[in-house]
Amino acid sequence: MTLSQDRFIKVYEDMVLIRRFEEEVEKYSKNGTVPGFVHLSIGQEASQAGIIEALRETDYKFPDHRSHGAIVLSSRPDDRKRVMAEIFGKKTGINGGRGGSMHVNDLKVRNMGFNAIEGSTVVTCLGTAFASVYNNTDDVTAVFMGDGTLGEGACHESMNMSATWKLPILYCVVNNHYAISTHYTESHPQKQLATWADGYCVPNETIDGNDIEVVIETIERAAEHARLGKGPTLIELMTYRWQGHFSGDPAAYRPEGELESWKEKDPILVAKAKLTERGTTEAELKAIHDRVEVLIAEYVKFALESPNPDPEDGIKHVYMDIEVEGR
Amino acid sequence: MARTLTFSKALNEALHQEMERDEKVFILGEDVAKMGGDFGITTGIWKRWPKRAYDTALSESAIVGLSCGAAVCGLRPVAELMFADFIGVCYDQVINNAAKLCYMYSGEASAQLVIRAVTGGGIRCAYQHSQCIEPWLMNIPGLVVVAPATPYEAKGLLVSAIRSNNPVIFLEHKGLYNSKGEVPEELYSIPLYKANIEQEGKDITLVASMSMVAFAKKAADELAKQGVSCEIVNPRTLFPLDKETIINSVAKTGRLVVIQEGPKFMGYGAEIGAMVYEDIFEYLKAPIRRVTSLDTPVPFAPVLEDYVLPHYDDVLKACQEVMAF
Repeated sequence: MTLSQDRFIKVYEDMVLIRRFEEEVEKYSKNGTVPGFVHLSIGQEASQAGIIEALRETDYKFPDHRSHGAIVLSSRPDDRKRVMAEIFGKKTGINGGRGGSMHVNDLKVRNMGFNAIEGSTVVTCLGTAFASVYNNTDDVTAVFMGDGTLGEGACHESMNMSATWKLPILYCVVNNHYAISTHYTESHPQKQLATWADGYCVPNETIDGNDIEVVIETIERAAEHARLGKGPTLIELMTYRWQGHFSGDPAAYRPEGELESWKEKDPILVAKAKLTERGTTEAELKAIHDRVEVLIAEYVKFALESPNPDPEDGIKHVYMDIEVEGR
Repeated sequence: MARTLTFSKALNEALHQEMERDEKVFILGEDVAKMGGDFGITTGIWKRWPKRAYDTALSESAIVGLSCGAAVCGLRPVAELMFADFIGVCYDQVINNAAKLCYMYSGEASAQLVIRAVTGGGIRCAYQHSQCIEPWLMNIPGLVVVAPATPYEAKGLLVSAIRSNNPVIFLEHKGLYNSKGEVPEELYSIPLYKANIEQEGKDITLVASMSMVAFAKKAADELAKQGVSCEIVNPRTLFPLDKETIINSVAKTGRLVVIQEGPKFMGYGAEIGAMVYEDIFEYLKAPIRRVTSLDTPVPFAPVLEDYVLPHYDDVLKACQEVMAF
């Protein structure tokens, strides 16, 4: 498949936007403005943007802990600054600051959020897929996983059940090579993790997760397969995270030169080269970057200037119908 | 019209009537469809609604995880954990997922599911099929723990649990399944979060739940012959607990005995005791007493299990002690 020029330009802008988004999050995390820790997806933009591009707004999306990019792109444009505000722990955050970096969710676009225990959403996603079938809709469910996630027992239960019941699930294994410090080949016997799905009779493939054209084409194909009632697919997207596990982790466990070799496969550079080959001019590309800078500045300003939550907001929504005592 | 039903049959009737009322309700679990459940509680449902009853693999995480996801989409899953002890293999889904979804979604959606879990000892099944798991859940804000004691409560509370928009762990004491009682034929519900005063009295408050309610009643009858009047409070919902009813009762009687089947340490008897000491210390006429299991795993051999589980005689003894203080 070849992307139309308009669509290619759109996803290029998406990738630049989420790269810059993450760079700002990193900056404000390192200077202590963003509380807690953040997991950045710099270097993984093609998988983040490509998966979201290939899905509909009504498809269920379960991002993982390293999915700010997918979350931003799932959100409607007016809500993107509220995603930034959530990461900053502000009252205007899309979840009122109760969740922060790891739990950003937005049900109106079916971003179902992340349960920050690896493997947990891999079984929760059975339920949204089940509901699609139960309600006779063709919405699919995409769950983001890392290479490390596959070590969790919940993945076995999920894959076994979804394959048996032919549930419309896309298991998107974003293989960035490391579960914190452990290389996937040191914790799994398979050369490529996609083949793990063979044991469950689930179609699977390993793709270049840094080529957005390949990502979109593969995810759209898997989604169509699921929409037709043919069951789940596992897609392993090969990529690399440029930062450590969390912002501030020096990632000293990586061999020398590995990061540099992956930077040559930077998904934004790969897309830029393709666009240039198509005849997109430097001026057109620069205009994209300029547009993104304006947006990012707006998101950051909004997050910085937003008030903190009211302390009593912390006791809201524990139950649907019972109030919890405050101080 | 009320007629006599077993606890099991009352649960089965609640499921049938709620399935009939609301097509968003479905059941899933190990052997719940064709077989009707290991204890027969879901008998007949699959036959009537084959598309709404699912036998699953032995996958408790997937059962609860699927229930959470489906609940957020507006369905009302009723999952069965064949033995409450099995919550160990899906604990993450219960405490980190089901309990947190309402908070995570700012009340826009929640894990409106029911996990029916078969709890308690006394059937000679040893330490992994006999535990009282309620304290494992009662420290997790976001969860609801419901514990019926009679067939009437079994039906009415299960109906409320299914309709609740919160995640409910519905504890079914296996020792009660064959117990009989009056159950109205029509659909009715019993409110959650509200304790029931089983009988009024003025000298001692006995707090008891599930199979321990029968102990409390027997003891109250015996003590009545000695001129001691017992008030029995059955919490019905263990968490969040109806503190007010318990506090008001103890403020009236001045004496409290909690009868709890599980081990003593960190059981809910400890919380009820602390609550009473904190709120109405000045009303107490005697120290509180707890009648519980010993702090051991539940053993298999009848003579061993009987030794470890709470003794009826201990209830009488505890009541006599608080009266004599």
